[in-house]
Amino acid sequence: MLQLLFKNFIRSKGTKIGLLFLLIIGFISLLIGHQFQEKQENNIAETAKYQKEHIARNAAFHKDEIGLLLYYVKFSLVNETFPINSLAIGQRDVNPSIQSVTIRGLEGQKYDSELNNPSNLLAGNIDFSFVLLYLFPLLIIAFSYNIISEEKESGTWKIVATQSSNTFLYILKLFYIRILCLIVLLTFVLLIAVLFLQIPVDKSFIAFYGIAVLYILFWFAVCFFIVSLQKNSNFNAVILLTIWLFLIIILPAVVNTYIINKYKVPEALELTLKQRNAYHEKWDIDKQETLEKFYQHYPQFKNYPLPDKEFSWLWYYAMQQMGDDESAVQSKELEKKLEQRNHASELIAQFIPTLHTQIQLNEIAKSDLQNQLLFLKETNHFHEKLRLHFYPKIFNNEPVEKENWAKFKVETFNDSTESSFLKAFLPLVLFNLLLIVFGWKNFLKNI
Amino acid sequence: MKILHTEILIAKHFKNSVFKNSAVYIITLFIGALLLYAAFSGWDNYNSQNETSEKYQHESREDWLKNPDKNPHRMAHYGNFAFRKSTSLSVFEFGMEPFFGNAIFLEAHKQNTANFSEAGFSNSMLRFGEISIAMVLQILLPLLIFFLGFNAVAFERENGTLKLLLSQGISWKQLLFGKILGIASVIMLLFIPTIIVLVFVWLLLQNFSISADETFKMILFILFHFIYLMFFCVIAVLVSASSKTSKKALVSLIGIWLILTIILPRTTQAIGAYLYEAPSKVAFNSAIEQDILKQGDSHNPNDVHYKAIKDSLLRTYKVDSVQKLPFNYSGFIMTEGERISSKIYNDHLEELLKIYAKQNSFSKAVSFLNPYIAVKNLSMGLSNTDYDSYIDFQKQAEVYRYNMAQKMNALQIKYISNKKPGPNEKPLTIGKEHWADVEEFHYEPKGIANVLKTEILSIISIIIWIIFLFVLIRFAAKNLKAI
Repeated sequence: MLQLLFKNFIRSKGTKIGLLFLLIIGFISLLIGHQFQEKQENNIAETAKYQKEHIARNAAFHKDEIGLLLYYVKFSLVNETFPINSLAIGQRDVNPSIQSVTIRGLEGQKYDSELNNPSNLLAGNIDFSFVLLYLFPLLIIAFSYNIISEEKESGTWKIVATQSSNTFLYILKLFYIRILCLIVLLTFVLLIAVLFLQIPVDKSFIAFYGIAVLYILFWFAVCFFIVSLQKNSNFNAVILLTIWLFLIIILPAVVNTYIINKYKVPEALELTLKQRNAYHEKWDIDKQETLEKFYQHYPQFKNYPLPDKEFSWLWYYAMQQMGDDESAVQSKELEKKLEQRNHASELIAQFIPTLHTQIQLNEIAKSDLQNQLLFLKETNHFHEKLRLHFYPKIFNNEPVEKENWAKFKVETFNDSTESSFLKAFLPLVLFNLLLIVFGWKNFLKNI
Repeated sequence: MKILHTEILIAKHFKNSVFKNSAVYIITLFIGALLLYAAFSGWDNYNSQNETSEKYQHESREDWLKNPDKNPHRMAHYGNFAFRKSTSLSVFEFGMEPFFGNAIFLEAHKQNTANFSEAGFSNSMLRFGEISIAMVLQILLPLLIFFLGFNAVAFERENGTLKLLLSQGISWKQLLFGKILGIASVIMLLFIPTIIVLVFVWLLLQNFSISADETFKMILFILFHFIYLMFFCVIAVLVSASSKTSKKALVSLIGIWLILTIILPRTTQAIGAYLYEAPSKVAFNSAIEQDILKQGDSHNPNDVHYKAIKDSLLRTYKVDSVQKLPFNYSGFIMTEGERISSKIYNDHLEELLKIYAKQNSFSKAVSFLNPYIAVKNLSMGLSNTDYDSYIDFQKQAEVYRYNMAQKMNALQIKYISNKKPGPNEKPLTIGKEHWADVEEFHYEPKGIANVLKTEILSIISIIIWIIFLFVLIRFAAKNLKAI
């Protein structure tokens, strides 16, 4: 019986075209992911090469003045891109994965954006998460909207009802075949992805796969529920597409607009003005005043007094430091707002399966806002570490050649946030159960 | 009016049958609410974006002017900001705005990136799209039209009433036009109030003092959206008329909608981006630095290019050291450095923009097949939220930056003594009255003529679509069968 049903399903021209389309676009998404991965790798290699040459060249030019040298020299920090990122590019195309900073004021450097074609950003990537989120549901709807209704409309339902002892079981079998088909397709594409993109099969990948499976089941559960209402095919098609539209386009957009308007970030612009003024105004005020503030921040440098010269590097870097210190309030405020945004969207997303899936996939792939915020924080640490390393050398005016410049390699930030299975799976599981239970009830009532 | 009598009768009949379905009220109410929400949030967003950017543009100007007497080169590093402002139509069409950087720091020697885009501060939710009036008009209303229209003819065919109608002397042409009119009249019940609200909000935003340019843009915005919605009414009726059953009509229409509004826009852009890979910031910047080093590095005391300049200056002025030149030597060198580095930067930028243009060319070409892309491009152009507007903003900012830097260099050449102060002497300064010589940055959005010029492909595409659909109606009227 099951075999027969399967043959019947797969023989239809529509099914074949649908599956083939999904398979092809699945592969295309892997190609796009691969290109993204390559670009990231090239960037890192390029940055490492650049940093080496750049430091060597500048160290040769400015060999007498370490203060001047460090005015120019840039050090890079890389936000590690994991292979699984190619499946869910997320915000990694918007945000730069490499920060290159001098030891001067950080607030003026840290928000530098990536170079981008806004048309690409607006259209969005065709990465695997897009295929999963947008296209799988469409195929699921196309495969299941007319289960029962089609047979009712063509008059064959009565034959089925009289021939099979349990019509509900028959319906379950129809769903089973379709679910199996799409899960096999998903597994196949992800298997290819593992080989092609060299994604390690670890906890992250299993979580990714688990969410993908649950998400597919969610859409089947939706179809199951709608089919259980036993309306005609046209009604089912319209209602299912409307649900898709709601979950994929309207609700995420409404939530996004809400969050953007609720947590506005004028602090960003305020911050950028503040850090400029805080640094520049120090040129025109008493030097000792600036130094006092600097000593307050770094008591360990109190034993470096202000040299009796119009210009000194101690004073210069103290001024730069003030750019950061005096805009710290705005910087903190901005960080807080962004965390609130992230928190609010994760909270709301739990009630919207599509959003939840997207956010979870990006979290696993380390391409969400959370990762970006952690990277910015790490940039702060990285920058502070460099400052503390170089400040005493600058204040002592140590010879440039005494420093081993070759040891300043590009550093890597490894976001080790573990995603919890419970948090990732639970909302989807609950939605699935709810829909199945209600669908089941409807069937028992109406068959 | 007598000629159209039958068509109007059919249209009225269709309209009545639509409103017999209670679901239509719910959908209409819902879309109405969505439109209001879109208008409100668009307004809110526009206001806060523009208020913030105006506030800080003003503040940064005040800060600039407040600077005391100092060396002009200090001022060149103090720099200015270019904050992006939106045009009033962007309340209704966000376009690429969330992906635009909102502030560029403009200083000497360096072309900074446009920072603080909404997208950079958002999580991936933003990538699902945003709710704007344009989005409702361009994506949701076409689907509504399809939902209303799939039954238009196919249902009559299924019922057998189609034969009756045709046997009563109604021609196919009358039937098709009547049904199109019917759907259009239902959609206008949503479209016209939307436009009234739109115009009202738009007038309010500008305190009822509107420029001719803005008015033209607004009229075209309305006109193109009207034509666009008509396209979908026609497509719905044609597909319905050529389908055997209403189910087939519905499935085909949903397919068409998905392809036009969801699948094609993303795919075509992705193809472009895949085929023409653009360099990242790291590669872009290091290529520029390489070229600048080749030309001459003004910070390198042994550089050949600058040594040649120095030697020729010394010869011309018949002096033996740069300190004896009658003008400020380092100001002169910086002018040269700025000129060279800007030229190299702009050359590289042009190359980059060429790659971007190639990436976008697929989408543009597809606008001939896809009225959605054509209208989307037009409405983004009219609201200055398209790709070209953003590039235009960045270019205006760069021109301003260059002029500011060179103005400061000129002041240094003219007023700063050539003799370097000793280690304990006060630095050389000029009076702060000079700071006002640099005008405030003012972003001038592209005018209507420029918008239409860049969007000429979209306009042609829409004209072709109008002709194509008329031809198709004629063809259908001749060839359609009742069964």
